[in-house]
Amino acid sequence: MKFGLFYEISVPRPWTRETEKTVYDRCLEQVKLADELGFESVFAVEHHFLEEYSHCPAPELFLTACAMITKRIRVGHGIVVCVPEFNHPIKIAEKTAVLDILSGGRLEVGTGRSATWTELGGFRANPDETKKTWDEFVRCLPQMWTQERYSYQGRSWSMPQRTIVPKPYQKPHPPMWVAVTSPGTEIDAAERGMGSLGLTFGGFKEQEQKVNNYRKIIRNCEPVGKFINEKVATVNFLYCHNDDAEGVKTGMRLTGTFNYLASQLLAAREAYPTKSYPSLGLLPSLRREAAGPGDDSGAPEGIAIGNPARIIKAVKAWESTGADQINFLLNALETVPQEQVLNSLRLFAKEVMPHFQKNESATAAAGGR
Amino acid sequence: MPPRFGTLDIAKFAKAAGTINDYKTEALTLKGVQILELHMEIDDDPAIALLPATMHPAIPQYAIFNVIHAPDSDWGPFTIAEVRVAGRTGVRPRGFVLRSYIDNDDAAKALSGRWGFPVAKADVNLRVLHDRIVGRVKLGGKTVYEVEEQDRDSISGNDIQYIASMHLAHSKVDNKLVVVQVDPEFVFHKAERGRARVVTLDPEAFGATASSLNVMNPIMACFTTADMTLPKVRYICNPELPAMQGTTKVAA
Repeated sequence: MKFGLFYEISVPRPWTRETEKTVYDRCLEQVKLADELGFESVFAVEHHFLEEYSHCPAPELFLTACAMITKRIRVGHGIVVCVPEFNHPIKIAEKTAVLDILSGGRLEVGTGRSATWTELGGFRANPDETKKTWDEFVRCLPQMWTQERYSYQGRSWSMPQRTIVPKPYQKPHPPMWVAVTSPGTEIDAAERGMGSLGLTFGGFKEQEQKVNNYRKIIRNCEPVGKFINEKVATVNFLYCHNDDAEGVKTGMRLTGTFNYLASQLLAAREAYPTKSYPSLGLLPSLRREAAGPGDDSGAPEGIAIGNPARIIKAVKAWESTGADQINFLLNALETVPQEQVLNSLRLFAKEVMPHFQKNESATAAAGGR
Repeated sequence: MPPRFGTLDIAKFAKAAGTINDYKTEALTLKGVQILELHMEIDDDPAIALLPATMHPAIPQYAIFNVIHAPDSDWGPFTIAEVRVAGRTGVRPRGFVLRSYIDNDDAAKALSGRWGFPVAKADVNLRVLHDRIVGRVKLGGKTVYEVEEQDRDSISGNDIQYIASMHLAHSKVDNKLVVVQVDPEFVFHKAERGRARVVTLDPEAFGATASSLNVMNPIMACFTTADMTLPKVRYICNPELPAMQGTTKVAA
């Protein structure tokens, strides 16, 4: 089991230039520490107009800053929106290549299509089209990264022959992922040989079923890239404290704040009925799960908040579903003071991570994946 | 930073509110109703004055325009039109009813008395044409509300998600103003989606002003045929408090 960070970059009102800068600075400080502590990766969303919830419209810039201050942590788009009104595919190919070079080959490319009317409507994108354009983009990207000369005549975009430069540092190209929120998207990921970047986690049984299904289908996939990225990541909240009650209390404040922020956004399905968005997506699912049934402590089952023992139990449960990685949300609206966030990361690295590094070594020694 | 909550002037708005007699009304199913619904983005900051403190705004804020024709009911056929402002109670999406107009006195009495809907009598109609579907309200011969769906395409009823209603009402049970939640259930027989157009809107007829109900950007229109069940009243809220603090369960 590997661990990563997942950034929405939530900024409370009032928005002064100092509050925005402070939040970004704090995120970078967390990433620098996570790099030193042995976290595997840092993912950043691409969101637009999601006031307070996410002020991260240019993840490639944030991730570049992350790469510049770290040595080994991988930097990931979680995700880049593959909808032409948001991003032209040539620009995606170019910018990801540059980020891969600047980071010394540490880029992960998550792909997706946005799940809110707030964003889709803002760019005047048609919700009926986003799944189609995503599919087209993810087939094009590896070709643009690897072919010296490239031309394309497609459904949603086209280009005459040009040389797209530079090419990524990683050869043949960075690993590709799909944001999995709507039911069945894990199948899309598996069929295309892409990693499943879970942004909701449902119950343990549901997750296990999804992972099994993913691993079964990916065996016979037709990869869009030059290699298969068979990985399953899920998302969670993290607040680790030696005092369990304090950890749960602060963690619940974090999840509650996230829930409030997420609830204000307008899910694509609520505003615009379409088969393209069969579920409400990330936000309501995370809300439901973060408020789901738990034990007497008040901590919902599977949420990584509380003392190290409680978090180890939660992580082991996710590990047993077959997930390879958990990406953690650390804050929302700065509700957890920075020093506490950093201490939580330190404690997690010291007390929780070693339990899973052993398992990984044992799995590798046994010839496992 | 405190969350944003509605700033509706409750006392002023209460003048047009319905009066709910008790919270023990039975559920009622209306068969084969036709429902025209439009979603329109509205000017964000002024529209917060159209939500009670019970609710906080969606991002972006949008209004829901409904026209519902029931071909048959205990009170005969009726057509009702309303304007709601979408928001959130706690973490749940809800639409706050500004005002409703109906063409049937008996239905008006029942919808107000049993569920507390803020209904008033008017000339309301829903016309299904080949090129468009039109919903219209006339007050004293003057059109105060006309909305259309254009360029209709079939979709699945499974894709439709109507959100529950909230409305201000005088409660005879508690002898005070309450916000009543009504979350109808639907069995869809047919669904279409098209472009939304608001042809005419007199905001004052819906207790709003030109600035507070400033329609800006169409999202979509949909038209369905469904069986619609108005359930028992399950929750009421204190209009002066956020829903998280001021919600009371009145039925299972």
